[in-house]
Amino acid sequence: MSEKYENQGTPQTTITSTASASSLPPPEKPSAIRTRFKVVAAFWAVILFLGFPIWWKTTSIYRAELPLQEMLDWAGGKSCRPVLPVEIEFETPSLSDVEAQQLLRTTQHTLDDLNEFSAHHLRLKLADEEAQQITEKADTALTVRLLAQNDLPSPRSELQTDTTTLDVFYPPSQIPLPSSANSPLSSFIAGELQRLFAEEKATIAQILSNSAIGAAASSNNQAQQISPQLAESITKRLRRSMKYAETYHLAFSLFTPGSAPSSWDIESAVQEYISPVVQALSPISNFTIDTQVQLYATFSPTTPAPEYDEAQGIWTLQEENLSAFINAAEWPLNPSIGAGPTINFILYVPSPDHFPLLVKESKATSWIIPQWGGVFILNPPLPTRPDTNSTKSLSNPPHLPRTSLRPAFLTFSHQLLSLLGTPSTPASLPLRLQTLIRIRAATLLLSASSTLGSLARLTESLPSIPIPAPVSSSVSTTLSHLSASCESLRNGRFRDALASARVAETEAERSFFEKSMVGQVYFPDEHKVAVYLPLLGPIGVPLVLGLLKEVRRIIIGWKGARSG
Amino acid sequence: MPIDRRKAAVFGGALALRLLLLLLFPSLPDLLTGRVEVSTPVTSFKRLQEGLFLYNRNVSPYDGGVFHQAPLLLPIFSLLPNAQEYPLPTALFYSLVDILNANALVTISNSAQAVSGRLYSSIRKDIKWDGFVVAAWFLFNPFTIATCLGRSTGVFTSTGILYALSAAVQGQTLNSMLALGLASYFSIYPALLFIPLVLLCYDRHAERSSSTPSTALFVVKHFAVFLLSVVGLLGISLLIIGDLSTLLSATYGFQLLVPDLTPNIGLWWYFFIEIFDSFRDFFLGVFWLHLTAYAGSLTVRLRRQPLFVVSSLLGIFAVFKPYPSIADASLYFSLLPLYRHYFPLMRYTFFSVSALLYASLLGPAFYHLWIYAGSGNANFFYAITLVWSLGLSLIIADTIFAALRDEWEQENPEKRGKTVKQV
Repeated sequence: MSEKYENQGTPQTTITSTASASSLPPPEKPSAIRTRFKVVAAFWAVILFLGFPIWWKTTSIYRAELPLQEMLDWAGGKSCRPVLPVEIEFETPSLSDVEAQQLLRTTQHTLDDLNEFSAHHLRLKLADEEAQQITEKADTALTVRLLAQNDLPSPRSELQTDTTTLDVFYPPSQIPLPSSANSPLSSFIAGELQRLFAEEKATIAQILSNSAIGAAASSNNQAQQISPQLAESITKRLRRSMKYAETYHLAFSLFTPGSAPSSWDIESAVQEYISPVVQALSPISNFTIDTQVQLYATFSPTTPAPEYDEAQGIWTLQEENLSAFINAAEWPLNPSIGAGPTINFILYVPSPDHFPLLVKESKATSWIIPQWGGVFILNPPLPTRPDTNSTKSLSNPPHLPRTSLRPAFLTFSHQLLSLLGTPSTPASLPLRLQTLIRIRAATLLLSASSTLGSLARLTESLPSIPIPAPVSSSVSTTLSHLSASCESLRNGRFRDALASARVAETEAERSFFEKSMVGQVYFPDEHKVAVYLPLLGPIGVPLVLGLLKEVRRIIIGWKGARSG
Repeated sequence: MPIDRRKAAVFGGALALRLLLLLLFPSLPDLLTGRVEVSTPVTSFKRLQEGLFLYNRNVSPYDGGVFHQAPLLLPIFSLLPNAQEYPLPTALFYSLVDILNANALVTISNSAQAVSGRLYSSIRKDIKWDGFVVAAWFLFNPFTIATCLGRSTGVFTSTGILYALSAAVQGQTLNSMLALGLASYFSIYPALLFIPLVLLCYDRHAERSSSTPSTALFVVKHFAVFLLSVVGLLGISLLIIGDLSTLLSATYGFQLLVPDLTPNIGLWWYFFIEIFDSFRDFFLGVFWLHLTAYAGSLTVRLRRQPLFVVSSLLGIFAVFKPYPSIADASLYFSLLPLYRHYFPLMRYTFFSVSALLYASLLGPAFYHLWIYAGSGNANFFYAITLVWSLGLSLIIADTIFAALRDEWEQENPEKRGKTVKQV
């Protein structure tokens, strides 16, 4: 930058003679002064007319308008009070309309008395009422079929495990009379329903109470009774299940310490045992499936080797050592394939030397690793020994057919359901999946709302971060889907609610983790001094000094002109 | 024009040297082509070959984001045989371009515009080198030879600039503008030379014709010619590429926004690696303005010596432009011998020449330590590029000082020979 010093001052000012005091440099000529003025003006013209616009344009922070109050309202639970009215249909082929209405009314009354948790309540209706409501039809969670059976002392219920139907058998004598407010049958049905939905209700209560919105909604009914065992099992399940994601990757891996088996009928096994579950879970998340076969997969050196149990002739693993079963350092279990978490399912075939391998305490062959996946130890039937004296000649079958994979994959499908947070009761799988949908919808609604709240607070507390336009549009998408989701929840259309909540959650996460915003979160204003000064300081000092000198000269000139 | 025997000897010697180097060290061109000092992302011959490969297969050469050079180079180079198999024709072509540049330099030198123009005539105008000496300084400069063998496409920009100057000193003002248009078309920065160059043209024009035309009209007219030549070249390029926005963003957008931070001998890459992302745009503006700001003020200050302003600006560009290489430095060094008469007034010659030598020897060594040996880091190479820039800036500052001192001594003859100090 030294040439700038040179061309700013004219030679008359930059050069002084050192020969003697008598030979001072000659006075500047007016033309030289004019030239110097022009040079200073040329530099400052560039700064003023090009530099400042560029500075203004490139460092101004774009902050898109965000509906902050609305976002905070959502996070505070003021915009939506999540309620989950569960629709239950009564099929009463053997009852007259009046009787059915009466039964319905008394049962509903009993139910309402039993229920103290307002966010989750059961709503009963008759099957033929459905025809009247063409629009805004709620999802029917459960169908109660009332069947008269003559030789029964008391009503009896039976839940069909593959549909959402509860069969209630009752002696015809117990049909409530129009006058009575209560009847054994209606209280029986109410009790059954209450029992069926107890776990779901407790789960939702737990989720709601863990969040700000839920706390506002459920603060008035802390009194509800959840048995400690139930509460504990719910907490355990919530801890065990994966965090919700839009897409899960299912990775099925076959590990064996030897060279066999080296192939398995994985495609048909997945087709038969996993695909139906994935299909059923498709409203909740997307799934991708990967498989791999890893031969010569050894335990890590720190893992205690299986012990031989002489008495029973089996090899056993200590239960407390199961956590070290996975050799995380060497087994290629990639924690993530693309976006979204991976759920690992490991099928381990022990070497013939360790046949059969079981867990010591429970004699089980499978276990869940919380928030990670499941393990199944498959002890395949060994080929018949040609020589009974030598166990060394034994080897695993080279190929695992579908029949031998069946227990493993049934276990895996069960493990998958638990890892995704499906409740363990009631017995009917469709019912449990519906419960999962409701739980997920509520969870996502809460999590998207709280993300919005965090974004709003972040925006308010850091006025210097930029807010790009995509964030603003994401926020508005989130808001519209949140209200759609809340509306669907209120109307009991849980599938729609989940679909909207999924979109809301994705968009909320995207806006919160927008890259250009995150970069500046930890960038205080003082750092700008360090950014500007090192380069602009050296350039600026001669420019400013030159300007000051010129200004002083002009002022002196004016004064001289006035006085003279 | 009778053929000057000494000039012919210099040209022949330079051509022979280049071909000899190629024959003795057949791997030298490829080695030099890969050096960051010779090839920048905007002048690299390797990238040109990539573009050529795509172009010859009817794919847009800018697909893949490797090639960022002017599209007119493609048809020219597709006429030459493949440089990988037949290196000789390409080397010959580049050597001829060098000789053309030297020829332009001889013209500039012989016009004696460097020592005495319309408005200013140096008191030392007798100290002067002949045209062939200036050409020899250029042709036998190791930087020029390395650029030539490294086949940097920066030489075409140099040709444009040198021919603009040679046409200007001969008074062919329109040709000068067309040549500057060509140079600006190849790489944007020569457009900044427009102001001093048009003043040089104006001075020559005024010297020759009896009536002095209006300055403003002259400037506007020549600016229109300059603009037309650039637009014309872009129009021809459009016939080759077909998509204007791709063309502009891949070439000029690339040069303006500096997205490729491959190390080079300039100051930009390291700075933009380190800068916070949110300030990147701002500092791009600052760096470009810094480059631009010199054009106006130097022209104002040294209005009487426009050719000297052009030379000094070329030196400043060689230091501060986004993708500098030794091709830019060699262009500046080729113009310096025109100012032989200022050499006695320069004060830091030894220091700056040592700095340049030190940087050019240690630069490759430190680059090797950083990239290949892994025993150094980026700071090693960057420190050396700082020394290189310091050496160049010192020479630029020193010559400007010498020019100002010369002007001052002419105005104050009684002070000649007095020692000076800067305050």
